[in-house]
Amino acid sequence: MTPSPDRKAEATDLELIDRWKGGDSRAATMLVGRHSAALARFAVSAGEREGVDELVQDTFVRAFASLDSFRGESSLRTWLFTIERRLMLDRRRAEKRSRATVPVQETDAVSEYGALDGLIAEEAQERVRRSLDALSPTQREVFTLRVQQGLSYKEIAEVVGSTEGAARVHYHNAIQTVKEFLKNE
Amino acid sequence: MNNCLDSEIQEMLPDLAHETLDEPSRVRVEAHLASCESCREELGVIQTVKNAFVFAPSIDAERVVRQIPPYRSIVPEVQAPARSRVAQWLVAAGLIVTLVGGGSLVMSRQGKVTSTNQPVASVNNSEQQSAAGVADVPTTEAGPSLAFAGSIDDLSDSSLVQLMADMTQFDALPATEPEPVFAVDAGEGQ
Repeated sequence: MTPSPDRKAEATDLELIDRWKGGDSRAATMLVGRHSAALARFAVSAGEREGVDELVQDTFVRAFASLDSFRGESSLRTWLFTIERRLMLDRRRAEKRSRATVPVQETDAVSEYGALDGLIAEEAQERVRRSLDALSPTQREVFTLRVQQGLSYKEIAEVVGSTEGAARVHYHNAIQTVKEFLKNE
Repeated sequence: MNNCLDSEIQEMLPDLAHETLDEPSRVRVEAHLASCESCREELGVIQTVKNAFVFAPSIDAERVVRQIPPYRSIVPEVQAPARSRVAQWLVAAGLIVTLVGGGSLVMSRQGKVTSTNQPVASVNNSEQQSAAGVADVPTTEAGPSLAFAGSIDDLSDSSLVQLMADMTQFDALPATEPEPVFAVDAGEGQ
């Protein structure tokens, strides 16, 4: 398997981290710009409906505050997912999570679609969201990290605090459920 | 349910969707897909999910960076060995008592071993052993010791000068680790 773009860019992530430590704030902007979209998508696919931008911001603040503990053994993005996941769990413990559908505002869209394509994409997104709601929280996390983010099972295990074998099982069960759900919709 | 028996191919489908397969693996998977409807169906589901959630909120990177405090390298505090810290504290306490008010000066020059029943103002290894709760542990031959019982104002000029001179002879800060609390070999200390 060829290294993912994120893995290829790992050295670049580390270089940006060193530059930021040296006082270059632009390096921080580049790192945030590189990984924020993935973090936002992970949060939405994990079921977060409100305050996603705040969640992503908190993830980066926590990450930059503890960069000295990032040893580079995993990719920076994997480490960011781990932090974001913990913040989501903290959030769910602190408040009751609402699963109400948040109307998509056109200004919030990160899309290159035209108006009609946007509606179709929105409907498809709703179908997928409902199918993911049928999964357990861990299945949903594993499945979205594998399918949406392209993480390996090793990286997924690190993010969710499990093993590679368990991650494989969760993924297998999840994709069967999603397939059946989408087929029946 | 994917009826395909090739689990290895199924495992690579997300990597194909993300275009992260090496060339030989990509060719192998695509050749398999040409004849396996189950895997094509599963790849379709993967791509649908992968392309969903394009409406995740956009993140203002500049705004996020403004919330990040500047980097402060954390220098680990260098901890002195515990034993020498205790020794330094005891020596400092002894010096303070010796120098600041409270009694007349009694000077003695001792060439023989004494017990550890020393006044508080005494500054030598035996005090450290006393502080450790060991009574009457014989000391090794020590240099001059001071016992200060009286007001420093009572000292004559010559006595004061002598006091200052004698203080310079003390090993106020141990050059090496302090003597062990329990002397295995009393040696000449007995």
